[in-house]
Amino acid sequence: MVAMTQLRVGERAKIVDLSRVSDLVKRRLLDMGVTEGAEICLKCTMPLGGPFMIENCGQCVGIRRNEAMNIQVKPL
Amino acid sequence: MMHIALVGNPNTGKTSLFNQLTGTYEYVGNWSGVTVEKKVGVLRNKQAKVIDLPGVYSLHPLSRDERVVTQFLLTESFDEILNIVDASQLERNLLLTVQLLEFGKPLAIALNMVDVAEGRGIFIDQTKLATMLRVPVVPVIARTGKGCDQVEHLLLEKATEQTEPLALFYGGTMERAIERFRAAWGTEEKFPVRWLAIQFYEGNSYVRDYVAEKLPEATWRSLYEQAEKEVQQAEQMPPAQFIYERRRSFVKEIIEQSVQRKEIERVTLTDRIDAVVTNKYVGIPIFLLAMYVLFQLTFDWLGAPLSDLLDAFFAGPLTNVVTAMLETIGASEFIRALIVDGIIAGVGGVLVFVPQIFILFFFISFLEDSGYMARVALVMDRLMEAVGLNGKAFIPLIIGFGCNVPGVMAARTIEQPRERLVTMLLTPLMSCSARLPVYALFVGAFFATHQALVVLSLYVLGVLLALILAKLFSLTILKEEASVFVVELPPYRMPQWQALWRSTWDKGKGFVKKAGTFIFGGSVAIWLLSYVGPHGVNVNMDDSFLAMIGGVLAPFLAPLGFGTWQAGAALLTGFLAKEVVVSTMNIIYHVPDVESLQGLMASHFTPLSAFSFMVFVLLYVPCLATVATIYKETRSRKWTMFSIGYALVLAYIVSFVIYQVGSLFGF
Repeated sequence: MVAMTQLRVGERAKIVDLSRVSDLVKRRLLDMGVTEGAEICLKCTMPLGGPFMIENCGQCVGIRRNEAMNIQVKPL
Repeated sequence: MMHIALVGNPNTGKTSLFNQLTGTYEYVGNWSGVTVEKKVGVLRNKQAKVIDLPGVYSLHPLSRDERVVTQFLLTESFDEILNIVDASQLERNLLLTVQLLEFGKPLAIALNMVDVAEGRGIFIDQTKLATMLRVPVVPVIARTGKGCDQVEHLLLEKATEQTEPLALFYGGTMERAIERFRAAWGTEEKFPVRWLAIQFYEGNSYVRDYVAEKLPEATWRSLYEQAEKEVQQAEQMPPAQFIYERRRSFVKEIIEQSVQRKEIERVTLTDRIDAVVTNKYVGIPIFLLAMYVLFQLTFDWLGAPLSDLLDAFFAGPLTNVVTAMLETIGASEFIRALIVDGIIAGVGGVLVFVPQIFILFFFISFLEDSGYMARVALVMDRLMEAVGLNGKAFIPLIIGFGCNVPGVMAARTIEQPRERLVTMLLTPLMSCSARLPVYALFVGAFFATHQALVVLSLYVLGVLLALILAKLFSLTILKEEASVFVVELPPYRMPQWQALWRSTWDKGKGFVKKAGTFIFGGSVAIWLLSYVGPHGVNVNMDDSFLAMIGGVLAPFLAPLGFGTWQAGAALLTGFLAKEVVVSTMNIIYHVPDVESLQGLMASHFTPLSAFSFMVFVLLYVPCLATVATIYKETRSRKWTMFSIGYALVLAYIVSFVIYQVGSLFGF
């Protein structure tokens, strides 16, 4: 189990733990179907510590690096 | 007439379906109390009205436009719900459907983008889905209009049916809590109490406010706290999460039985575009390039030739025809002067910019509809984070280039209230298209060789000041609030012409309307003030009332380089709408077209004072319409006054520095 920030671009992983993510972001991620157990793929990262773009079932979501750091995933 | 509410997740093709079903709008208005767009259309067969609600993921609202849907369900009367569902994202779409079914109104599902879903290997058995949900399901392709006829038929048949609300079982603990709520609430005729109870326990803020109006605070608090305690004990999670999980497993069950998946490994077009557009290294340069092309098209390649044609028409044929007509009917000199020098000069001077404004709005609509705008938020987030805001705040700023009013409104997609406030306060610094006539006038007169560069410098100045102030405000106003950023990136879609034209027209018509009202009235008033003075009518303009009023301001403006009564009067009237500055100048300098005006102005301004004047116009106060919108959105007199006050101070300081420093260097 690693933080999402450890993933390489293009790598797929399963979300294990979302509990440390801030409430608002967690609610939005749930709205978009990104929950514990969901399979995601890291699509790209923006430079200079910018946001991460992840894909889940063909749906892309952008979140900040500091939130991604709090998401625990298991690489597939 | 029947009323049908159109509800669905964001980016599911709701607007396309609405356009297909209704043909034309009945009207576009605002929801009471909030400036969230309310669109109502009539079905093509004229038998029902369709109300387009904002896209939401859940009835439990996070941002301000999401509250509108819950508010609508509870307070407005309607006959049925048309729920648009994205077939390629069935799970999260059905989570909303469950909440709508619990509400118990007649409901039909328009299953959109079946083609996209099949391309991804998702095959949906519609009959099975319809049986399991116990509502009719019609597959549609909203973009092409396929299936929309069936939807229309279905809607008309459906409304008369009685529907039982879905009673999803939430487990013993939760059900007992629902029963307690029911006992406290009493009888209710308008909607199912069960729905209200579930939304209340889920933490829906609108429903909580609604409940708090009827039940005493002690009662609803103890209801909530007891449920929270018991659910936490029994299920090891808060009620909101438990309710979510329960719905999710219900939806999963439905999907399992009605959906077949085939593994298709395919790189979609969106993936390919994103590989470039959101690339780590070229993402930002591509965005800047896109902005450059957008402005060149609007102001140079396409817009300028069209504007010149219009200007030539107003100054030449139109003025001649009108003058000739007035002579034939024997109109007095007063009427002739009012119409030709007042109205044609004033209103025409502004209408000339209609082509450029429409082109700009067209491209902004294109960026919005294609899905690129969300990428802009992603690409710009790092920069915005550095100044204390988030990437979504960049979108209102871009829209603000078209017009500050929709820019301020676009800030409502930002979830954090303080970030939203700062974004609204800063949007007026974006140089809107109404300021363009002013630049065009001065740049043509004083900077003929570097037109584009000078105008660009003003746009850049606005953006830079907005970023600097954002940092300043985030260290003061925003201090106690952490910035949050999460954005959905919808797949790219080629915008449809019809939809593009509609949204361009919706945005641009306000400008034309303004020319017929504010600017028309303003032009007549200004002309009258310049025609009448303390010593009678038809006075020399320097002895008119306008000169007196402008003269009061002149000494204050002198340190900025434009201490004339003409500048003072123009700026004063510019509060109505910034383009009125040009109308006023046209009238004051009493000239038929832009070219002769530019010649005359050379005696009143130097290039340096002209630049200082343009900077002042860029910054000095948001126009009347923007101020009204800021007030409506913030609902705060204090912040509205602040938006005017800080802009005035900023404009004065920046123009002062530019003029004084420039003078020192001998410009």
